[in-house]
Amino acid sequence: MVQAVATLPIDDVAIERSPGYWVTVWRRFRRDPVAMVALGVILLLILIAILAPYITPHDPYRGATLRRLRPPGTPGHWLGTDELGRDMLSRLIYGARLSLFMGVTPVFLALFIGSAIGITAGYVGGWVNTILMRTIDIIFAFPSVLLAIALSGAMGAGIVNGLISLTVVFIPPIARIAESVTTSVRGLDYVEAARASGAGALSIVRKHVLGNVLGPIFVYGMSLIAVSMILASGLSFLGLGVRPPEPEWGLMLNTLRTALYTQPMLCALPGIMIFITSISFNLLTDGLRSAMDIKA
Amino acid sequence: MELDTATKPAPAPPPTAQEAPAHPLLEAVELVKHFPIKSGLFGRANAVVRAVDGIDFSLYAGETLGIVGESGCGKSTTARVLMNLIKPDSGNVLLNGRAPGTPELSLKDFRAQVQMVFQDSYASLNPRLTVEDSIAYGPTVHGLSSTDAVRRARRLLDRVGLDPRRFAGRYPHELSGGQRQRVNIARALALEPKVIILDEAVSALDKSVEAQVLNLLLDLKDEIGLTYIFISHDLEVVRFIANRVMVMYLGRVAEIGPTDALYTGGRHPYTNALLGSMLSMNPDERTMEAPLAGDPPNPIDPPPGCRFHTRCAMAESVCSAKMPTLTVTGAGHFAACHMVDPTSGHSKAAA
Repeated sequence: MVQAVATLPIDDVAIERSPGYWVTVWRRFRRDPVAMVALGVILLLILIAILAPYITPHDPYRGATLRRLRPPGTPGHWLGTDELGRDMLSRLIYGARLSLFMGVTPVFLALFIGSAIGITAGYVGGWVNTILMRTIDIIFAFPSVLLAIALSGAMGAGIVNGLISLTVVFIPPIARIAESVTTSVRGLDYVEAARASGAGALSIVRKHVLGNVLGPIFVYGMSLIAVSMILASGLSFLGLGVRPPEPEWGLMLNTLRTALYTQPMLCALPGIMIFITSISFNLLTDGLRSAMDIKA
Repeated sequence: MELDTATKPAPAPPPTAQEAPAHPLLEAVELVKHFPIKSGLFGRANAVVRAVDGIDFSLYAGETLGIVGESGCGKSTTARVLMNLIKPDSGNVLLNGRAPGTPELSLKDFRAQVQMVFQDSYASLNPRLTVEDSIAYGPTVHGLSSTDAVRRARRLLDRVGLDPRRFAGRYPHELSGGQRQRVNIARALALEPKVIILDEAVSALDKSVEAQVLNLLLDLKDEIGLTYIFISHDLEVVRFIANRVMVMYLGRVAEIGPTDALYTGGRHPYTNALLGSMLSMNPDERTMEAPLAGDPPNPIDPPPGCRFHTRCAMAESVCSAKMPTLTVTGAGHFAACHMVDPTSGHSKAAA
């Protein structure tokens, strides 16, 4: 039958192509002003973090006992100085590096591991699902803050241990989302049709499942970045994450809290940075979610 | 259903008892599929839905077998068991006498020869793949290079009446229901199968589009020499397209026979009740009373004996005591009713 029409001149003809899914999502996203501003803020923060050595007016580590706790607006130190006389602006800029890193890295690690667990559980189903998801539930049963503190405390302070404990905290919620999305996609007719064409599980997951589940999982992961930043700051605040004298927003909140009554504006600065960053990630996530919600 | 009956092709001669081909193309042998209903803490099954409960039939090369019945009678489960998408609890599906998943016939080879078109044209296409990628996927699984597979996909689009220049690069949501169902047919054809199972494939389309797709199916069948299993609840459509019809009731075969014989002289009371529910184009022939009242009994706990006796006007004590078996009533025509079995003891049984 196919041979019978083999001479048709349609083999190499140019075809009209529709814009792909992600192109459509981007076009919709672009029309959302709030989400675009949030994206702009995040890109700006990333740029600042990358360019930190070139744009900081002072060395973030060098203090001066004579110029301690100057309020914002001090000439030469626009945002004031901290309890050791270090320039706040420089420390906040350098802090963006560690804070963004501590916010994003655990989420991405957890996205990788959690998706793998969740998609496997969702696609294979049966007892594999039961074992994987019940194990995940056990971890999920602990409150996330408590679990992060307990793990960091047990492993000892430090950036790496902080990252590991945050990753463990974020694996269960991501795995759950991945499992539920995969389970619903797996029951759809196009997956049945793919099975009916004789394809194996790996091929079906790669071609038909991943493309339809990674989007929602990724969006969910984005919403966790803000949580991760706040948790990382909390760990640093408790002395379990980043250690002095590294500039990190959560740690800065901690060390400045003694000056809360004398320089409240100064003490609030790292908190304001955490607030701006996390709300930007949340607004970006909201915008992305509504842009991806394309009704056919 | 306003189909031009003149376009109906001369049906392949229905296999009769005398001239039945020795080897059916596809056979269902005592297929059983029960779904456990799990509940409680440990998911213990305390009841089963008897979706398919002992189905036997043969499909001969070149014919179209229609399967009809009410919702929930097991039509779609039968299709999925035939496709090996779900494993039967017992019984066998045989293609040319060979069971899939055995050394003689791998599941993959079986699936290349038996394909399926689903009812929901949208859900059966991956929303992230272009139309040509969806069609080309099957052939690449079976080892065709992606260039050749895309070529084949475009030719098939052309064959099912969609201009590849306009449609190959589109996504499913940009197409109408009828166009999507043509894509699904093209995808089923992409593996060059012998049998296509059409599970309510035209039911969701509006009548004019339905007629076009039916005519496409008939053309393809003639050109390629396909064999169809056509599952539908629409009796008129089945009459139009099928050579033989199988009537299902609560997971069992009630009657099976050549379309004309069955539509003009159904032997099972359920068949006649179903046919009585068809709307007539002739106002003089309209029915004033409902041929069949109520819903089918619960397949979790089907009635003993003949499954239909709870709704059957002709039911007698034997009907609730003994399950009827398929009995020959004519050339290639079988019915599972005590009234056609002279040995059953039913008062109306043909002597």
